Order: sequence, then C-alpha cells, then structure tokens
Amino acid sequence: MKGRLLALLAAPTAWLILFLVIPTAALAAAAFSADGVRALAEPVTWLLFWRSFRIAVVSTGLCLLVSYPVAYFIAGCSPRWRGLLLFLIVLPFWTNLLVRTYALKFCLDPLGWSNSEAAVVVALVQSFLPFMILPLYSSIEKLPKRLLEAAQDLGASPARAFWTVTVPLTMPGIAAGCILVFIPVLGIFALPEFIDERSPMIGSQINLYFMKNSNPGAGSALTLILMVLTITLTGLYSRFKKSEGLV
Amino acid sequence: MRKLLGGFTALVLAALYAPILVMMAFSFNESKYSVRWTGFTLDWYRKLADDAVLHREFGNTLILAVSTTVISTVLGTMAALAARDSFRGKRLYTMLIALPVMVPDIVLAIAMRAFFSAVHFPLSLGTAVIAHTTFNLAYVAVVVSARLQGLDRSIELAAQDLGASPVRAFWKVTMPAILPGVVSGAVLAFTLSFDDFVITYFTTSPGDATLPMRIYSMVRFAVTPEINALSTVILLASLALIVAALKISRVPVAGGGR
Repeated sequence: MKGRLLALLAAPTAWLILFLVIPTAALAAAAFSADGVRALAEPVTWLLFWRSFRIAVVSTGLCLLVSYPVAYFIAGCSPRWRGLLLFLIVLPFWTNLLVRTYALKFCLDPLGWSNSEAAVVVALVQSFLPFMILPLYSSIEKLPKRLLEAAQDLGASPARAFWTVTVPLTMPGIAAGCILVFIPVLGIFALPEFIDERSPMIGSQINLYFMKNSNPGAGSALTLILMVLTITLTGLYSRFKKSEGLV
Repeated sequence: MRKLLGGFTALVLAALYAPILVMMAFSFNESKYSVRWTGFTLDWYRKLADDAVLHREFGNTLILAVSTTVISTVLGTMAALAARDSFRGKRLYTMLIALPVMVPDIVLAIAMRAFFSAVHFPLSLGTAVIAHTTFNLAYVAVVVSARLQGLDRSIELAAQDLGASPVRAFWKVTMPAILPGVVSGAVLAFTLSFDDFVITYFTTSPGDATLPMRIYSMVRFAVTPEINALSTVILLASLALIVAALKISRVPVAGGGR
C-alpha cells in the first residue's frame, strides 16, 4: 500500500517541484533583482496596478449585475430548458478567448464603440460572463423555495423577500463568481490591447518589459506582485467559504 | 416578471453569440477593406489553405496539444489516485496542484519563462509543452478526482483479495471505472492547450508560433477577412472537440465491461 502510494506520488510531485516550485522561486529571484526593485519605484507600475484593479472591480460588479437575473431565470426553468440554456452559456467558454475578443473587436470597431476603457470593460464582461453565471446558478438552484414562500406568507413583499432571503442565501455563489471573474481579469493580457491600445493593464506592461524593453527583472517584479495579490484573494475567499460552511 | 427575466436572458445570449456569428459571416465577404457586404467568396479560406507558414503553425499547435495531453493525463491521473490516500503534507500537495489554476495565466507563463532563462534553456515548442503540462495537470487531477469520489474502493480491494496483484486490480477494476473521467480530463487538457495564447506566447520562441499566436500578431497588424476565416476555422475546431467530449462523457459506464 505504502509502496503504491509512493509510486503514484513520485512522478507528479517531481513534476510540480521541478516545473512549479522552482519556477516560482526563479520568478522571485528575478523580481528581487536591481531592475525588479527599480520597477517598484516607477509611478507607471502603480498607475497600471490601480487601473487593472479598477477595471477588474467594475467588470466583476457589472458581470454580477448582468448574471444574477440570467442565473435566476435559468434556475426557474424546466429541466430541459435549464440544460439547453446552461449549455449555451458555457459553450463560448470552450472556445478561444482571443478569437472571441477579435470577433467583438470586429463588431465594435465599425460602430466606433471601441477605443475606450469602457469598451475594455464591456469586452471583459462579455468574455467572463459564464464564470459568473454558473456558480450563481448552482447556488440559486439549491435555494429552498419554501423559505421564499414563508417570507411572503409572513408579509414580505417579493422585493423584500429577494433582498433579505434570496441574496444572503446565494452569497456563496456570488463570492465564487466574483473570485472566478476578478482574478483572471486582473491579470488579463491581449484583450485590452485588442480593444483599446491606450488602456493598458498590468499584463500589457509585463509583456512590454519582456518583449520590447528586454527588462525581465521588472516584468518579473510586476508578475510576483500580481501572484501575491491573487493568492491572497483566493486565501481570503477560502476562509470565507469555510466560515460560510459552518452555517 | 418572469417574462422580463426571459427577455433579458435572451438579450444576454444574443450579446454572447452575435459578435461570433457576424465575424464568421464576414469571413465570406469579398471586400478586403470594407465592413459592408459586397458578395460571397471563399478566397480567404483559399488563402489560408495556401499559407505554408500557417500550416506549420497548425502543426505546432497540434504537436503542443497532443504532447501536453499525453503527459498531463498520465501525471494528473496519478496525482488524483494518490490523493485518495491520506499522507503527511497532503494539504500542501493539493494546494500545489491547484496553484496554477488559482493565479492568472500570465503569472504561470512568466514564472516558467524566468525559470527557463535562469537555467539557460532556450525557448522552443518543448518548453511550451512543459508549461502547458503544469496547468493541465491540475485540470486532469480535478476531473479524475471527481470521478474517483463515486468509486467504491472495496471493489478494488476485493479483486486483490481474490488474488489479483495490485497492478492487475488497478488495470482490470479501477481503470475501466475511471476511464470516462480520464478521457474527459484528456479532452479538457487538449482543448485548453489548443486554445491557449498567453502561456504559449511567453514560453515558446517566435519561430515555434501556434495558431492563437498567429491571430494575435495578425490582429495587431490589421483587421482583415483572412483573420475572420482563420478565427472561424479555430472556432469550428473547438466546437468539434466539445461535441466529441460530450459524446464521450455520456457513454454509459455502469457495468464497466471492457
């Protein structure tokens, strides 16, 4: 038994150490170079982090606003329709993000709707919608209908029942959706460049350091900050999930 | 209220699909510069068919996707099987597996690039295979683990009690039962690798470009109907993969006769 476990563990563990732990260490080493430290003193670094953060917050919020009614509607459909609608929502997720972004650019450009930060946000919302709808749907679907009926029987208006019963009870889905959208959006690369070259995010700057300015130290420093930020967020989220699980 | 919600959902679906459909339609448009419809043509597809560089890039995309699928399916399945037992450091182990999925893909891409540059390993299709495998391993492990959870372990132990060696018990009992999970993990890995742009872009040399990298450089240059045609081909290839994946995951596994 013990030997079997060791045999199973050996190869994946070796891979993860060689091609995940050591690369992370290499990233940190490159980040703490002179170039990397200098990049932290550059105002543009913090400007771009701030813009990325702002864009990620707004896109995640809009994603939630758009997704909640959709998830709510799907959860109330017959099983047949539910399957079909969920399939249609998830299908684009299985295709190339770059190609989908190009399709959006192709349609927005002639209308004159691209080339603004707002257009970047719209493109992000459109692209990451499935990540929000799915967790929302699964938590709305689990909602006991009796609770809503009870709230209304006791005199709550539908709106009040929604805000005091439905929303708090679907908080796990809201949190999961937000984290699933916020993290990839924060580190997005290529989509902002396609939609509006003048709204670069932190990913654009990392690309610039590596591919144009040949300054890997600075690029690594930015990447390390991004990594620490996203891991901290996931850590906070799993704490929240645990405390939520006790209720 | 319900009608309103339904209408809104329809609107959202339209917003998801309309740009893709319009883009596809215009891959058949004659005019090179105009976004107005001037007539039907297959010229842009013919151009793709005659593009030797594109053929090589398509080959690169396939080599990359197939290699990483094979390696990550084996490693991810092993990782999932190992995670059934409890052992010291298991929490750390599961966190490590999930790490590449928890961070934006540019983080993994740059970490890999920093690593290859630190050990003076020149970037190639091979380095991209390594980078893809690190994130695919996580996806395969998750999918196979989900399948393993529904598996009664005592069947495997019963086979061993009846005299089968652990290896034989694994291939005759466990493997057939988890095969659908392994196959869906493999299809997922292939699709993710086939569609990936960011990780490939940072971990391969420009000489070993893949199809998504081609799209990126073409779009940065100019919007042309040729990109529409190539995008349409890539989208249809992805769709074919999904359909195949769905067919596979619906294969009834009860009975497990194989």
